[in-house]
Amino acid sequence: MKKELLFCLLVSFLLFPINTWALVSPTEEFYVNDYADVLSKETENYIVTKSQNLEKQTGAQIVVVTVKNLEGEDLESYATALFRKFGIGDKEENNGLLLLLALEERESRVEVGYGLEGVLPDGKTGRFQDQYMIPYFKEDNFDEGVLNGYKAFYQELANYYQITDIDEVDQPIEKEENASNGMTLFFQIMMVIFIIFLASRGGFFFIGPGGGRFGGGSSFGRGGFGSFGGGGSSGGGGSSRGF
Amino acid sequence: MSKKTTIIVAIVAVVAVIGLMLISSYNSLVSKEESVDTAYSNVSVMLERRADLIPNLVNTVKGYMEHETEIIDNITEARENLLGAKTMDEQMEANDQLTASLDALMVVVENYPDLKSSTNFIQLSDELAGTENRISTARKDYNDEVKSYNTAIKKFPTNIFAGIFGFEEKEYFEAKESATEVPEVEF
Repeated sequence: MKKELLFCLLVSFLLFPINTWALVSPTEEFYVNDYADVLSKETENYIVTKSQNLEKQTGAQIVVVTVKNLEGEDLESYATALFRKFGIGDKEENNGLLLLLALEERESRVEVGYGLEGVLPDGKTGRFQDQYMIPYFKEDNFDEGVLNGYKAFYQELANYYQITDIDEVDQPIEKEENASNGMTLFFQIMMVIFIIFLASRGGFFFIGPGGGRFGGGSSFGRGGFGSFGGGGSSGGGGSSRGF
Repeated sequence: MSKKTTIIVAIVAVVAVIGLMLISSYNSLVSKEESVDTAYSNVSVMLERRADLIPNLVNTVKGYMEHETEIIDNITEARENLLGAKTMDEQMEANDQLTASLDALMVVVENYPDLKSSTNFIQLSDELAGTENRISTARKDYNDEVKSYNTAIKKFPTNIFAGIFGFEEKEYFEAKESATEVPEVEF
């Protein structure tokens, strides 16, 4: 009997680690929770405006959270617990998305609610992080990394829900990685050879990817109403990256 | 009202109260048990999903590493075991076997930079990692439900009804030792 009691006690400790580490709470803005203090005011305003708009039209919610550290918890458990605590996305649809950045651990995770796993399978969330976020994070440019990643995911959801408010400023910018990577170097060399080849045959001009950089978010005043999570849940889908 | 009627009314009232308690605790036990079953089937679904990802992975990997047949065979075998597993213990064991064989693969992958950096492989790795995380989440959820259920059937007075209706204690999903992360408990 005593042994049983001890076992129960042990099990209950194992089952309740969630209560022993402190999760951050949603801020007033709800959509942006910059606890690591790495985001600019423009980025925050941009995200809040866009997310509010998305929620109003579709019920889907995109939430960005940055934290200084994960308090010893692993990234995945932290993200899932946070997702559920915030209740991101609609309760019925579970169409929430969480972008989490942990500064000290240098890790990021995109966690997807049940309802969005179809549009955003794990592989895609990983690819988006590789393309739009991690290159910036590697250079400690967290503000731009978060903004770009946010844009990429926003655009994906906007397409999915067929809402049209994507302007040029909303396009995510894929960052060119430095030529340290063997693969990219290889491609660059191939590219040069290709260009020389074409040039030698005459008649082709290559125009590099110029294009406008982002123009900052339009900063309207915050909506007067407080927005909260819709009670959505996640089953741990998404992908994680270290940088 | 005669004394007799008062007694009868009292008895009826007591019986009715007990009956109501019985019904409500029976119903709550049924719904708790149902939650446990749902949580269990979520785990199974995720395990199956993991198994379903394996053939794709194997095909991708095979193209790059022709000589690592043993590792690949181990993975395929572990997958078959997982799909064939019936009980919870068998499932967990097969799942751990699959984890071990995949870990072995990931070590070897380091020797194949082309494979490691291929879009297809990165995507498959993400899907696998995501599914593994879903499994552990589903497992945690299941354990939470079991805990709530097990507590309920042990508490007085529900324990009496649980005994009468034959509700039995449910088993926890136990993580294998190496995978158990020691939670930090603050007192």
